Amino acid sequence: MALLGGPVLLCALAIVVPLVLTLIISFWERQMIGMRPGFSLASYALFFEGARFSVLKRSFWVAASSTVLMLSIAYLVAYLITFKLPPNRTRIFLFLLSVPFLVNYVIRTFAWAYLLGRTGPVNQLLQWTGLKSQPVDWLLFSDFAVYLGLIAAYMPFMVYPIWLSLSAIDRRLIEASWMLGEPPLGTFLRVILPLSLPGVFAAAIFGFVGAFGEVAVSQILGGVGYQLMGNAITSSLDVLNYPMAAAMSTVVVGCMLVLLLLWLRLFDLRLFLGKMLGR
Amino acid sequence: MTTDLKEIDRRILLKSAALGIGVLALRPGAAFAAGQAVTLADIGVGDLNGDWSGYTNPTGNKVNVVSIGNGPSAVLNQLIAGGGRQTYDIINIVGGMQKPLVENKLILPLDVSRLKNWQNNEYIASYFKSGSKGFDFIGYEGKVYGVPTVLQGDSFAYLPEKTGGDLNSYGALFDPKFRGYVAIEDNYTTAGQKAALYLKSAGLTDIKDPSDMTKEEIKKVVDFLTQKKKEGQFRVVWSSFEQAVNLLVNQEVYVMDCWEPMVFAAKAKGVNAVYATPKEGYLLWAMAAYLVAGNRSPERLEASYQLLDYMLSPEYGAMITNLRGYMTHPEAPEFASKSGKFDPATAKKIADIDAGVKTKFQSGGTWQARWPTNIETYEEEWQRFKAA
Repeated sequence: MALLGGPVLLCALAIVVPLVLTLIISFWERQMIGMRPGFSLASYALFFEGARFSVLKRSFWVAASSTVLMLSIAYLVAYLITFKLPPNRTRIFLFLLSVPFLVNYVIRTFAWAYLLGRTGPVNQLLQWTGLKSQPVDWLLFSDFAVYLGLIAAYMPFMVYPIWLSLSAIDRRLIEASWMLGEPPLGTFLRVILPLSLPGVFAAAIFGFVGAFGEVAVSQILGGVGYQLMGNAITSSLDVLNYPMAAAMSTVVVGCMLVLLLLWLRLFDLRLFLGKMLGR
Repeated sequence: MTTDLKEIDRRILLKSAALGIGVLALRPGAAFAAGQAVTLADIGVGDLNGDWSGYTNPTGNKVNVVSIGNGPSAVLNQLIAGGGRQTYDIINIVGGMQKPLVENKLILPLDVSRLKNWQNNEYIASYFKSGSKGFDFIGYEGKVYGVPTVLQGDSFAYLPEKTGGDLNSYGALFDPKFRGYVAIEDNYTTAGQKAALYLKSAGLTDIKDPSDMTKEEIKKVVDFLTQKKKEGQFRVVWSSFEQAVNLLVNQEVYVMDCWEPMVFAAKAKGVNAVYATPKEGYLLWAMAAYLVAGNRSPERLEASYQLLDYMLSPEYGAMITNLRGYMTHPEAPEFASKSGKFDPATAKKIADIDAGVKTKFQSGGTWQARWPTNIETYEEEWQRFKAA
């Protein structure tokens, strides 16, 4: 128990206490510089009535749709690594996937802004090859640019949990399916996919949470005040509206908690963690 | 024997102490403050590209330049919640922030008698005298809080080859001809006020004072900007110096609400950018270097005063004018031509810039409002514009 006490206390201090404080402050009243303790629903009311609620809806849509996109790419990559790549190359490929993380992701995002700009290399190439006579505007400062930025930023994170799930599948189950006459697609749909779902859901959580709270990608690649929840919370902090920032953060944390509870309900967490730990 | 030695030691110690106190009493200020590291928080235009030797060599102090946001609330946020009071000795930001800074005990009043470069500064005497609009950029309730390091009149930038000629109205920012090729700053005290200037001047909206609008007037301005945003007028809302320069350099936009140093930076990269002379007038403002309130030793305070004095010097002024294109110290052009630190072409450039900004102040406009009466509405409405 004593051994357990330290980590539990650390978690409480680092995670639970700030979350509880955030919840409390979300009910406080704003003053121009600072806030006044109390119980007020003003911040929540302003949030759900005002322009910021549209940001929440947009964030949900962008996070959900980009997660689906990222999952499809990440699953394909993880599948190829697990089943098609010779085992001695798996490690190299996984290492290569982590190389972009050596560069700060804000810098990587700025690099996309350069590449996709009206006078950037992509547009130059399009015009040089004759595919376009004018620069393509929607490459940058658009939904396309935001999705591209999100995929580049979070998709690699999603490959690892899916790969873990896929590589933990007992190959004899796949062979049994084949021997019982199931075609490859059937084997995938009825054996591989269900068994890999804990990893898929873990990857979805990584992608969704990242995209939902994104700040830099939307600001650098999104264009005219493109706001996701991360930007809206930052903006509120910039104007010293701490209760509003706390209210928005509480709503975001609440959404994430619902997702995690859903995960626990649908999948046995121990199953996934057991695989990660090699049990 | 032992006793004698002790007595001698004590005598020596007392003599040494007396000598030390005497030396300290007669010390020049620089010696008193030598070896200090002063942290200067700057919005990106007050740094001498790392060359602070004009301050560090004679004083023996160091300067640690850190970045600070320029938005009024962002500044307060960094001082209150970001630990700025403990970290920063001086903040060099756009002035006019005295009311919230003083009322929340975030800055200290200045003893200008400790600043030798304050005396006989014609610009301070002309543009910042007590009771003037300019004084609101450095003072509050009769006391001086900010050192006016640079003066400027803002407008907007454009690329004449792309716009097909000269532009002389803020209306260019909203002209459908440039739809999708316009950027504005993420700042209601600049972009918002310029939009108000245009709407008032063009007779499109009834605005009494663009620098201090009523709640209804602000809403009208934001409605107009939101409508333009939905029409696709703006390519992007920029929020950093580098981002704005890149927008011009990459010709991502042709018309941009921005600061003149961005035009200088773009020109240095080979882009023909022009800073407009708008018929509606300029947005006049001044940078103010404030002494941050905090637990500081007398030595650190002295070193901070020395830095403030250096930032008021012709040398610093000439270097900043050359780097950023602002008007600084009245004697900066003369220093540039006579000191030998600049070649004749650069000295001429500094003199031209100084004369150019002076013309802006003579032609007039409106002083920027950094802390308008209805600032909470300004901020809420600006959020609405961004989220729309």
